[in-house]
Amino acid sequence: MTDLVMEARNVYKAYHSKIKKKEADSCGETPKQVVEAVKNVSLQIRKGDIKLIFGPSGSGKSTFLRCMAMLDIPDKGEIYLGAECLTKPGADLNKARARIGFVFQHIYLFRHLTALGNVELALRQVLKLPKEEARKRALAALTEVKVTDCINKYPAQMSGGQAQRVGIARAIARNPDIILLDEPTSALDPELTGEVIDTLRDLAKEGTTMLIVSHEMPFAREVAEEMIFYDEGKIVETGPPSLFFNAPNTDRAKQFMTRIINRTTRE
Amino acid sequence: MFEFLLNPIYQGWIVQGLLLTVEITLFGVLLGLILGTLLAIGDIYGGKLAKGAIAVYVEIFRGSPLFVQLFLAVYTVPAILNVQIDHYFLAFLVFGLNSAGYQKGYMKGAMETILGDQMQAGLSTGMSKVQTLRHVILPQALRIVIPSWTNEFCSLTKSTATLAYVGLFDLVSAGMAIKGITYQILPVWIVIGAIYLVWITGFSKIMDMIYERKKIPGIELVMQS
Amino acid sequence: MDVWQQLTFLLGGVPLTLSISVLSFLIGIAIGLPLAFVRAYEKEVAFLVSAYEKVFRGVPEIVLMLLFYFGLGPIFPFPFSNAFFVAAFVLGLRSGANQSQIYRGAIRGVGDEQMIAGVSIGLSKWRAIWHIMVPQVFNYSTAGLGSEYALLIKDSAYVYVIGLAELMTKAIQLKSIPPGDFVTPFVLSAVLYIALTFPIAFSLDRWGNKRKKKIGL
Ligand SMILES: Nc1ncnc2c1ncn2[C@@H]1O[C@H](COP(=O)(O)OP(=O)(O)OP(=O)(O)O)[C@@H](O)[C@H]1O
Ligand SMILES: [Mg+2]
Repeated sequence: MTDLVMEARNVYKAYHSKIKKKEADSCGETPKQVVEAVKNVSLQIRKGDIKLIFGPSGSGKSTFLRCMAMLDIPDKGEIYLGAECLTKPGADLNKARARIGFVFQHIYLFRHLTALGNVELALRQVLKLPKEEARKRALAALTEVKVTDCINKYPAQMSGGQAQRVGIARAIARNPDIILLDEPTSALDPELTGEVIDTLRDLAKEGTTMLIVSHEMPFAREVAEEMIFYDEGKIVETGPPSLFFNAPNTDRAKQFMTRIINRTTRE
Repeated sequence: MFEFLLNPIYQGWIVQGLLLTVEITLFGVLLGLILGTLLAIGDIYGGKLAKGAIAVYVEIFRGSPLFVQLFLAVYTVPAILNVQIDHYFLAFLVFGLNSAGYQKGYMKGAMETILGDQMQAGLSTGMSKVQTLRHVILPQALRIVIPSWTNEFCSLTKSTATLAYVGLFDLVSAGMAIKGITYQILPVWIVIGAIYLVWITGFSKIMDMIYERKKIPGIELVMQS
Repeated sequence: MDVWQQLTFLLGGVPLTLSISVLSFLIGIAIGLPLAFVRAYEKEVAFLVSAYEKVFRGVPEIVLMLLFYFGLGPIFPFPFSNAFFVAAFVLGLRSGANQSQIYRGAIRGVGDEQMIAGVSIGLSKWRAIWHIMVPQVFNYSTAGLGSEYALLIKDSAYVYVIGLAELMTKAIQLKSIPPGDFVTPFVLSAVLYIALTFPIAFSLDRWGNKRKKKIGL
């Protein structure tokens, strides 16, 4: 039990959309007052684990990941970081988030800072490292994700792939216990996806603990120890990649895998 | 016609008037910036009561002319409080409070375009809300609003022409004094107008240059969207 | 005088406040709209428009009123010795400069494609502007025009300096009636100004929110 890095216990999160009837009619969809994005999900991650979540769009994967990092506060259930319960009132969330790396689907670099500034900021402000030390570690992180050529560029001057690798550098620079990655390649053009995947592969080789939302199936097959099929706010099926690529147990997972593999081969 | 320009006494008046105009404007913009930023943060994060109070504040200062506010400050406030207050100080206060009403809007607009994703990104690195505001949101917002400040500076400078009517010696007062002696009415107002024009245009140019230098690549796109 | 008498007296200034602001707003449209298109589509003379805008951005309305009324009035009694004319003239020209900038933003909002499409069906440049751009430009400038009109209401207070008896002047007159009430006249006039500008700000807010929702959906 000592090597448990993070745990979610019966996490529940719903969004209460404030769509008024009149406006909802004009959208043409039936109004959903309550969207249950995460319905009592439990998950354990041990040191060195690489788990991969996949599932249909809108099923609540991002919400679950944000709950894990307490960027969204769950309505019910508990989140543990090591032995510390983050959902207990009074938990120091900032301190906890400093130990959790997060990579966003839409990258979210700080737009007023260069690549170096983006990585340095938390090292200086959160870890309170002295200037030279912070710089050294930021450079090391940027070197690790192979974006040394962008060090002094601003986010708007980078390609999507470069920006996302800087985003990964920002997440790994403070040596977090775990990195949560929310579809790190889905906002990128196909030709840029490869470079980010390469970076993730390197991290995997070093034994980084990761929980990744992704639909990059070849990558999943290669690095994931466990794949988690997530649909309608629930974990529907879990198992090793071989299970999903050969014969998933549930029909929904089967259908989803067929669709996604067809799509990948067509591209 | 324009000989009065060569008279050192008149030159002194003009410089004195211009200095007051400049001082009140710059202090006003600065006070407005500090107060406006606080109001913007209060409007975004505050409770219902705070939001309501801020809305009333803004409506009062943006809904009525600065000219009237100046008279309120100089006549009404001392009459109610039954004390003598320095007109210079009151003018500075009115310009600052008035500007805050406008700058709150600029800051709030700028912060809202940044807040969503950048706040999440800041929190995700372990920074607190306050740290993220301080190191991520404000540095971006303050750069984005530079052009709005330039506008605010221009309009406040123009408004300082009202100071002459509450007994302060500004550029318009200087003009009146010179005109009263020389009777060169048209030339005097042409000169006074030109001085305002040069000062405002020149200062705007400098602000534009600062904006160009401070501007973050790609960040003005945020403003448009 | 009691409060009601004071209020009645002040209300007597409102028609003048409104007529000055409406008139200068209309003058502003007549000047600002063509200027905006000249600045956008006649590159060789765009600098003239920009100079015009700079002058009205850089010279106080009060100084302009003093200049035209007291400086030019004695030389050209017609029209500059008429205070009402000078008021509408100065504020109208100033508004023209502001509105030119508002419409220029709107022209960018409508987009060049519309103009190109217009020319592609055989319209001349200025015909395309008139038939294609002008009608659309107003869709994009409602917010700016609303605050410009509110600004004119507030700036009409400046006509005090050339002796027109609108709201602000009336308040100062009230103050001067012995024994001298320094409180009620200014508080009341501030309230009246807010009452005049508030509906504009309010409807703009609602309109803006509606539009945001429309775009968001
Ligand atoms: N802030 C929010 N307010 C209201 N509803 C939200 C919010 N965020 C997400 N939702 C809703 O919650 C549901 C789950 O969203 P989520 O982003 O977690 O899905 P996802 O599985 O990550 O989808 P995708 O693959 O498209 O990223 C969706 O129906 C979404 O509309
Ligand atoms: Mg998602």
